[in-house]
Amino acid sequence: MADQEKQTKPTVEEQNATPKDTKEEVDASPDVHFEPVIRLAKVEVKTLEEDEDVVFKMRAKLYRFDKAGSEWKERGTGEMKLLQHHDSHLVRVLMRREKTFKICANHLITDDMTLSPNIGSDRSWVWNVAADISDGEPQQELLAIRFANSENAQLFKTKFDLARESNAKVRNGEPHQDLAEPKKEDDEQSDDKPKADQEKKAEENATKE
Amino acid sequence: MAQNEVPTFKLVLVGDGGTGKTTFVKRHLSGEFEKKYLATVGVDVHPITFQTSHGAICFNTWDTAGQEKFGGLRDGYYIQGQCAIIMFDVTSRITYKNVPNWHRDLVRVCENIPIVLCGNKVDVKERKVKAKAITFHRKKNLQYYDISAKSNFNFEKPFLWLARKLVGDPNLQFTAAPALQPPTAQVDPTLMEQYKKELDLAAAQPLPDDDDDM
Repeated sequence: MADQEKQTKPTVEEQNATPKDTKEEVDASPDVHFEPVIRLAKVEVKTLEEDEDVVFKMRAKLYRFDKAGSEWKERGTGEMKLLQHHDSHLVRVLMRREKTFKICANHLITDDMTLSPNIGSDRSWVWNVAADISDGEPQQELLAIRFANSENAQLFKTKFDLARESNAKVRNGEPHQDLAEPKKEDDEQSDDKPKADQEKKAEENATKE
Repeated sequence: MAQNEVPTFKLVLVGDGGTGKTTFVKRHLSGEFEKKYLATVGVDVHPITFQTSHGAICFNTWDTAGQEKFGGLRDGYYIQGQCAIIMFDVTSRITYKNVPNWHRDLVRVCENIPIVLCGNKVDVKERKVKAKAITFHRKKNLQYYDISAKSNFNFEKPFLWLARKLVGDPNLQFTAAPALQPPTAQVDPTLMEQYKKELDLAAAQPLPDDDDDM
């Protein structure tokens, strides 16, 4: 198994690797062959983010309000993104969970959307969405997002508010504004490093005895 | 979407009551972490879908009752199982002691299917089943993972390993699902008023103060 994991792309595996310095480790699992149930060929999967620019991207934790139980429930941890489309110029909110990459938020930013603070927190916002399609069919949701600190939360609000104004202009037929920062070569790396470190820390905590 | 074309596998999820089977399933379905314990009666079946480098696949997950008194059909749930997860709780020795019983019942019906043994709740500081004490997987050719449904540690690994075995490719990866463009919704003003009220209510409700991994 260990050998198999080495062959795979580093994206998922490295993040999830058990820290090697853990003193007590469970004995390795035997590598056993099973006859596959089905043969599937590799396929090219589009993220459908190919025609969009990243206006904002930061790790955060998303919640949805469960009306029946009148409580906030976790929806996912991952990168909160604001994406502006090349053709429509509209900005949407898109968030995927770490490790499984499943979508937990996917909706346009509309005129009626305002980020309100959540009681007792300076790093969270709540807002209403009339049509979120992260589970397929459009659905109304009350969402909340929490960032690592209030500076990051402010940064998000600034971009979100800009996006709302821009979307309103686009809908009125006024000229659009490109909200994405011009791309830098090392953008990706500098963004991912702190994330990987945090990830490791979280896992060390999880494996501590 | 052509959901019916997605290759689907029957996954049987077993283990003692309270080890976190249903919480694990919910975590994968909606992202939530359910703290309350509500014993599963009989079985609940949930489709858990993943986008992979080999296309979408679905685990039809049979989340079975761990408590004896709520057990129901047992063998009936296992029939035509194509893969399985046996779960125990690393903070409760008895749940590990019972793993051989779950395994025996399972393989009596499902011979030679890929099985993952999961030690859940590794986020808890007072671990009772130490790593070195976990040996059953070596005797019975199971894959083993420490997991935590609470912290998400390794929570995708059982499905990833099973997917690789069922498809027969050790290089299979989870990938980003296509994110369709959201619609521009027309909202009726009276409905909007209602949403506003709900939002005020929700904003006054603090977010769970969970151990933050931000």
